[in-house]
Amino acid sequence: MKGAIIMNKEDHTPRDSDKLKEIPKWSRRYAQNRKLTVLVLTAIITFIGGFVAFPISLGIAAIIRGDMLVTGICAVLFTAVLIVLIIFTFKFGDKNRGLLDQKIDQWIYGKEGTASLPTSRSTKKKWLDVVSGIAISICILGSMYLAMDGYLSFKYLQPVLAVCFVPFLVFQYFLQQPRLGPLLLLCPALYAIHAILIIAGVPIYFTGTFAVPLNMFLPLFGYTFLAYIIAHIYSRHALKKLKVIAHLEGGTANGD
Amino acid sequence: MEIDKIIHEPARLRIMMILNGLEKADFTFLATTLGLTRGNLNRHLEKLESAGYLKVKRSFKGKVRNTSYQLTREGSKALAQYWENLDAIRQSGQT
Repeated sequence: MKGAIIMNKEDHTPRDSDKLKEIPKWSRRYAQNRKLTVLVLTAIITFIGGFVAFPISLGIAAIIRGDMLVTGICAVLFTAVLIVLIIFTFKFGDKNRGLLDQKIDQWIYGKEGTASLPTSRSTKKKWLDVVSGIAISICILGSMYLAMDGYLSFKYLQPVLAVCFVPFLVFQYFLQQPRLGPLLLLCPALYAIHAILIIAGVPIYFTGTFAVPLNMFLPLFGYTFLAYIIAHIYSRHALKKLKVIAHLEGGTANGD
Repeated sequence: MEIDKIIHEPARLRIMMILNGLEKADFTFLATTLGLTRGNLNRHLEKLESAGYLKVKRSFKGKVRNTSYQLTREGSKALAQYWENLDAIRQSGQT
C-alpha cells in the first residue's frame, strides 16, 4: 500500500469518522436535488409550448366555427413560432447540445461549482425513452383533439391526461436514476391527486376558450415548478450539511 | 494494521469522500465545500492523482476552462479498504 503507516490500537482514528462517512450521502443528495437549471429549462420549454399550443388551439376552434380570418392569423402565428423554434434548435441543438443548460447552470450555480451524477448509458433505456415519448405525444394530441371536438368534457381532460402523464413521469424518474432525488416524484403524485380530486367533484379545472391548453399544461407546469423548487431548497440543506461535515479549519487544511 | 497515508490526511480523505458520492465534481465545488485555498486544494488533488486515485478531466464550458475530478476504480477500492482497516482498528481498540 502506498505510504502506509502502522497504527497501534491506541492511535487516533479520524475524529467523527461516523460523520465523515455521511459525506457521500450528502454530496449525492445535493447533486440529485440541484435542479433549478432544469426548472428554468422546463419554464423555457413550457413557454415555447404555450406559444405553439395557443395558435393551434385557437386555430382549431376557429376552423370549427368557420372563422377563416382567425384561422389565417393563427396559421401565421404558428409559422412564426416554428421559425423561432428552428433557429433555437440550430443555435442550441446538435453539436451545441447542452450549451443552453451549461449557460443556465453557470448563471445559477456558478459560485458553487459543479457536482454531477452519471446519466444512464443503456441503449435499451434510450429506446424505452423514445417509445414512451411517442406514446405521451399521441396521448396529448389525442386528448386535445377529443376535448376540442366535444367528445371529452373539459372537466375530465386533466384526469384523462393523468392516466398517461403520471406513469410517464414516474417512468422518466426511474429511467434517469441516479440523477434524480425522490422529491421530484412530488410532481406525478400531485398531478394524480389533482385528477382524483376533480373526479371526486372538486371544481379545479378551466372552462372557456383556452380550457384545453390551460387544463393540459397549467397543472403540469405548476406541479413541476413546485417539485423542483422544493428539490432546490433541499439541495441548499444538503449543501449546508455537506459543508458542516467536510469543511476544514486552518491547520488541518494544510496537511502534508 | 496499515492505514493508507495518502487517504488518511484530512483534506484528501474529504475530497475522496465527496467524490465517492458523485460521478464527478469540479475544482470550484471542491474548494468551496472544503474551504481550502486554491493552492492547497491543488496540492492535495495532485497527490491523489499521482497515487492513481483520481482521474482529471479538462474541458471548456463555453469559453471558460473547467477541470473536473472523478474517483478511479483503484481510488474507490482504496477508500473502502481504508475504512475497513480503520473500523477494524477502532473495534480492536474497544475490545
